[in-house]
Amino acid sequence: MPNNGMRRPARRAIVLFSVGLLALAAIGTASAAVGQPGGITDEARDMHGLYLFTLALGAIVFVLVEGALIYCLVRFRKKSDSLPAQIHGSNIVEFIWTGIPVIIVIALFSYSFVVLRNVEHKEQPVDLTVNVTGFQFQWQFTYCANDLGKGANAPDKARGDKYQGPCATEADEFSITGTAKDEPTVVIPLDEPVEFRLKSNDVIHSFYVRDFLYKLDVIPGRDNKFTVTAREVGTFHGQCAELCGLNHALMRFQIEVKTRADFDAWMAEKTAASKAAARVP
Amino acid sequence: MASIAIPKQGGYSRPLILEWITTVDHKKLGILYLYTSMFFFAVGGVLALLVRTQLAVADNHFLDNHAYNQIFTMHASAMLFLFIIPIWAGFGNYLVPLQIGALDMAFPRINALSYWLFPPAGIIMFSGFLVKDGAAQAGWTAYSPLAKTLGTGMDLWIIAVAMLGVSSTIGAANFLVTMFRMRAPGMTMFRMPIFCWTMLVTSVLSLLATPVLASALTMLFIDRNFGGNFFDPNGGGNAVLWQNVFWFYSHPAVYIMILPGMGIISEILPVFSRKPLFGYKAFIFATMGIGGLGFSVWAHHMFTTGAVLKPWFGFMTGLIGVPTGVKMFNWLGTLWRGQLTFEPPMLFALGFVSMFLIGGINGAFAAAVPVDFAIHDTYFVVAHIHYVLFGGSVFAVFGGLYYWFPKIWGRRLNDRLGQIQFWLMFIGFNLTFFPMHLLGLDGMPRRIATYNDFNNWQLLNMISTSGAFLIGLSMFPFAAAVIMAFMKPKDQPNDPWEANTLEWATTSPPPVHNFDEIPEIHSERPLFDLRHGTHSNH
Repeated sequence: MPNNGMRRPARRAIVLFSVGLLALAAIGTASAAVGQPGGITDEARDMHGLYLFTLALGAIVFVLVEGALIYCLVRFRKKSDSLPAQIHGSNIVEFIWTGIPVIIVIALFSYSFVVLRNVEHKEQPVDLTVNVTGFQFQWQFTYCANDLGKGANAPDKARGDKYQGPCATEADEFSITGTAKDEPTVVIPLDEPVEFRLKSNDVIHSFYVRDFLYKLDVIPGRDNKFTVTAREVGTFHGQCAELCGLNHALMRFQIEVKTRADFDAWMAEKTAASKAAARVP
Repeated sequence: MASIAIPKQGGYSRPLILEWITTVDHKKLGILYLYTSMFFFAVGGVLALLVRTQLAVADNHFLDNHAYNQIFTMHASAMLFLFIIPIWAGFGNYLVPLQIGALDMAFPRINALSYWLFPPAGIIMFSGFLVKDGAAQAGWTAYSPLAKTLGTGMDLWIIAVAMLGVSSTIGAANFLVTMFRMRAPGMTMFRMPIFCWTMLVTSVLSLLATPVLASALTMLFIDRNFGGNFFDPNGGGNAVLWQNVFWFYSHPAVYIMILPGMGIISEILPVFSRKPLFGYKAFIFATMGIGGLGFSVWAHHMFTTGAVLKPWFGFMTGLIGVPTGVKMFNWLGTLWRGQLTFEPPMLFALGFVSMFLIGGINGAFAAAVPVDFAIHDTYFVVAHIHYVLFGGSVFAVFGGLYYWFPKIWGRRLNDRLGQIQFWLMFIGFNLTFFPMHLLGLDGMPRRIATYNDFNNWQLLNMISTSGAFLIGLSMFPFAAAVIMAFMKPKDQPNDPWEANTLEWATTSPPPVHNFDEIPEIHSERPLFDLRHGTHSNH
């Protein structure tokens, strides 16, 4: 049996163990600052609040439980050969420590539920619709010049409209696409609700913008959409987040938030360019 | 069954190799399971080091995208299907009959079949590296329709996983019948060792969930080879359907991968605390609770599809934290006012408790649905699964190996090497996986073959890679301990740890028929009662 000869390494083990866990706790706390970015949309800021709440709960649980564990390791290491009291359990204690996690779960769930409802606000009027198509292995972003997401005059197969794209007429439509080397940039206006409609014709992709703190899968046969309102001007990074085959890692894009004036200028330039291109043939 | 004829000692002399190939002895099959799964652990580990080498620096060209996708897919497939799940079958095979005082498993030949499906499945899965277009490369989750578009390696993967599914299912039935029908006199259900209970719940999960996986795999195979369109919307199928059926198996499978580990540390902690497990029955009900709830949370892997009822699955996922929390507190209650010593089995068990806690806490982020929108499919999730399955399961595997090595092989692994291994592994583990939380929060998606360094991801990736090599290094003291042990003669007494359960009542290693004599059983700790002449007040 292990005996007093084990004492010294045992103490060292406990010290090492404690130092390790304390270091982890410190890293964990420090990472709150460098961890999740705050997000640039209304929705992201809501979700970031929930993240911080979860982090705080997690940190408390971590410190209490690991603290109790370290306390046990230090306080109750073997000191004599006498048998400790053989306690088999206690219903009251079990009841209490079943109750505590239940309360935590209900708190976390309630807050998540509220945030979820805010993030997935249904039927919000939008100022712009961006049609996103994911394909192996890039993205295409399609805008409508004269039909900024209002959905009027949608093409109708029954009426015999030949054009079946997202805009009212083919002339309205222009697209941005890129390559792995030359990433496409999707542009949206500041302070306005923008709807992203996601479509895939091959495999599942996932439209992920880190600073939206959000991703939504791009699934063949299913039309997913979400709406965000960006609150910060700048260029942000986006990437496919669902393994989609060979060059999945290269499905990157940029997302640029411009003020309304800059956005209109960009839109005019793009529309003119696409009309010029259309006239060429 | 009790009616199995026991061969006379030395009555039949057969070549050793034939003896092992034809054996139906649960102990030999258990050892075969342990060897084979540890082999695949080593293979999966090498693949992991390749993955980490590729990701060590930004824009690396060590592996190309094609090789990378195969390697990370096969790393996960090997570790989950060929290591963790079967190694529990190994421990279970060896220990369950001994712990309940039985002669063997209920169906020894079916038991042999369970095992012998396993090595060929591994060979078939890895033979993908030899065919055109290489091994499976759709991740261990094989999402469709991507999986439909890939080469023959995918078919080999499907066949292998299906074979392993058959192996688990019949193995589960075998464990259940053994535990229900073959307990020694006095061994009531509520006196069964906690490891047996976790194997019991695990077996129920396998029995209910694995057939769903079998049907999913069959549909995928038909989609790929016989013009089916179950999961391909271009032919009228539904891409999300695969995820539903796959996770209906694979979420319970996560509990299949962790519950026996919880059982193992619940055997170790009481022995090295010199106290009974705190709340034995509460622990059993918590295990059942986890198993039951495990069937109602599969879609928490699918929040970002937008195709599932998010509040329901978020809430049920949170609820799993309750029985898990109860277990955590029961382990602490076991240590409380004990007389703790820190031999290697105890170190690994404590490693489990401290690391699995983190695996629980970071799971809460994914259960809070809107937070999951950000972290889903990022390295945060990779950190989470490894805190559960490495910080949890793998630590339990090594704890179990150090603990039962004297029983299985009659020799004790060197304590000092065990301590060295533990500290290297513990530090390496945290270096590898803790930074992944930060990478995930910073937006690094999982399963990408390369990244550019615009976000300064390289430093954290480099730390992670060094940690991975430290884990690799930690396997050398273990290998040394095993080799040293086998160079010495068998010298272990029946009960070297002063343990509680029935397997320690027989010799180390046990005879073919397991027990010459089974002690009276009055509690869940028959050996404690024997040593102290008490009847438990339980």
